[in-house]
Amino acid sequence: MSTVPAPLRSSGTGRTSVLRLGGYSVRLRRRTLAAAVGCLLALAAVAAWSTSTGTFELAPDRLWATLTGSGTAAEDFVVWTVRLPRLATAVGVGACLGLAGAIFQTLTRNPLGSPDILGLTQGASVGALAAIVLAGASAAAVTGSAALGALGTGLVIHLLTRGSDPSGYRIVLVGIGLAAILAGVNGYLLTRSDIIDAARAVFWLTGDLSGREWGQAATVAAVLAAGGIATFAIGRGLDALRLGEAAAAGLGANVRAVKATALVSASILTAGGVAVAGPLAFVALAAPHIAARLTGSSRSLLCAALVGALIVAAADAAALYGVDGRQLPTGVVTGVIGGVYLMWLLITQRKKGVMP
Amino acid sequence: MTVPTSPLSTANATIGYGRVAVSEGLTVDIPEGEFTVIIGPNACGKSTLLKALARTLRPSAGRVLLDGRDIHAQSTRSVAKRLGLLPQGPTAPDGITVADLVARGRYPHQGLLRQWSAEDEAVVAEAMEATAVTDLAARGVDELSGGQRQRVWIAMALAQQTPLLLLDEPTTYLDITHQIEVLDLCAELHRKGRTLVAVLHDLNQAARYATHLIAMRDGAVVAEGPPADIVTADIVDEVFDLPCVIIDDPETATPLVIPRSVRPAPVAAV
Repeated sequence: MSTVPAPLRSSGTGRTSVLRLGGYSVRLRRRTLAAAVGCLLALAAVAAWSTSTGTFELAPDRLWATLTGSGTAAEDFVVWTVRLPRLATAVGVGACLGLAGAIFQTLTRNPLGSPDILGLTQGASVGALAAIVLAGASAAAVTGSAALGALGTGLVIHLLTRGSDPSGYRIVLVGIGLAAILAGVNGYLLTRSDIIDAARAVFWLTGDLSGREWGQAATVAAVLAAGGIATFAIGRGLDALRLGEAAAAGLGANVRAVKATALVSASILTAGGVAVAGPLAFVALAAPHIAARLTGSSRSLLCAALVGALIVAAADAAALYGVDGRQLPTGVVTGVIGGVYLMWLLITQRKKGVMP
Repeated sequence: MTVPTSPLSTANATIGYGRVAVSEGLTVDIPEGEFTVIIGPNACGKSTLLKALARTLRPSAGRVLLDGRDIHAQSTRSVAKRLGLLPQGPTAPDGITVADLVARGRYPHQGLLRQWSAEDEAVVAEAMEATAVTDLAARGVDELSGGQRQRVWIAMALAQQTPLLLLDEPTTYLDITHQIEVLDLCAELHRKGRTLVAVLHDLNQAARYATHLIAMRDGAVVAEGPPADIVTADIVDEVFDLPCVIIDDPETATPLVIPRSVRPAPVAAV
């Protein structure tokens, strides 16, 4: 091939930069990069605010001192034992849900393809409610049972939708059916419960992050790493799938393997996120749409994960400190933010006459 | 082992959907360097054959051979370097630009750490040049007319740099001007040395552009050969149940099918 003058060379399109070194080349879209950096900065700002605000306030210099290991015992406790694990869990859960939502939207080629619509969230709820109502289980057992519920739902979707699905509708229709069935089961479990279990169940169903510890943050981090690596491995194939199954196969993507891996990793990510935090409404649905608007392209799964992390971290901070000093469950705030965003999306789409 | 006479063929293949076989024991050879067009009435199995040739459908019996080897024993990536496919009615992701869509054609030549080589860039530019979409490079695919859009998809398949190109009804939903535009482009690609296989609905367009015709009915090949041999009144009647006369196309001297105005009525007139 013709010589590339320097190891670093920029392509002529003006929108993307290409880094080349020997036989290797990496493509970077500038706007995507800017959006990712913007999300990280916003996340840092939210983190700084949520770790220093509240009944125990820290000035910026004290926060820095505590983070760098020279805080007082009280400061250490508030930051390292109470606030940081909760923040880390919020970031991990949000990233899991945002990434899962983006994978499902790509897989179904449907802007509404999210674990909330496809029944995975309801499956996790069945797991959690069964553990609470039928077994009176511990918090850890509820988390495990919720994860199993989501994974089981993902498995059923996979079994019922194997084979070709040129329109992408089959997963959506099967998911909607499963969601309806599982919602019925949840209603049944709630009517069977006594008042204490019912209160606990409803609280779980709202989704909350209070009292999360490092152990839960580590669990979410592990799930995010596993799902993230699997998604990265099939990233190219998933991108080809946006052109439709036939075109993707024509380009040399292993459509069957890509779809199966995508479904499994999105299910694991949903299971991890929902099991630890409960079904935080709308995060998985809204995060990929917001990321697509920021980057001007629906291709960046990384940005969807970052936006998800930002939404949950900000919503959790708002839930803690935002409303007249009373703590709210995190899910209430994500639900309001997600619902308002969805309405705005629908209204602007109607004006433009297009789907995102 | 015998030298393959045809780059792409089916050998005694049974092809269908689920348990329903559309074609049984089908043996078809795609001749190298020809512009092959598959014709036949609706539901005759022509698109099904194309899907089998493109590796989209796996035959339940028999084999599809690419370069003499079973196509399903080869990796998707190596098949994609030999054979490009333009599926029927493809849909582009919303907001994608022409240049981005054409660039997707480089997929089988790329990897995680080989995302955009200088060769990719040159090949994509060449593909856009060949299909006359270079001026549209920065436009969104969804803003284009049907004919322009189809040319962009063909550019994507060209960027794949395959000696074989399969097109499933490339002219469907296009008005007559754009149909001819797309077919002229196909003829041009054929002249430059590619082996083309297309499914077309319009018999006269098939007769005009193809260098090799495969006529199908009820899942079986009725006749194949050069259009002048295949497009005869007898064969057209046999394949399509259409009484007709054949005249020479005044422009190209290829066969032109003129349906008869008086057809034998299925029920006696009152």
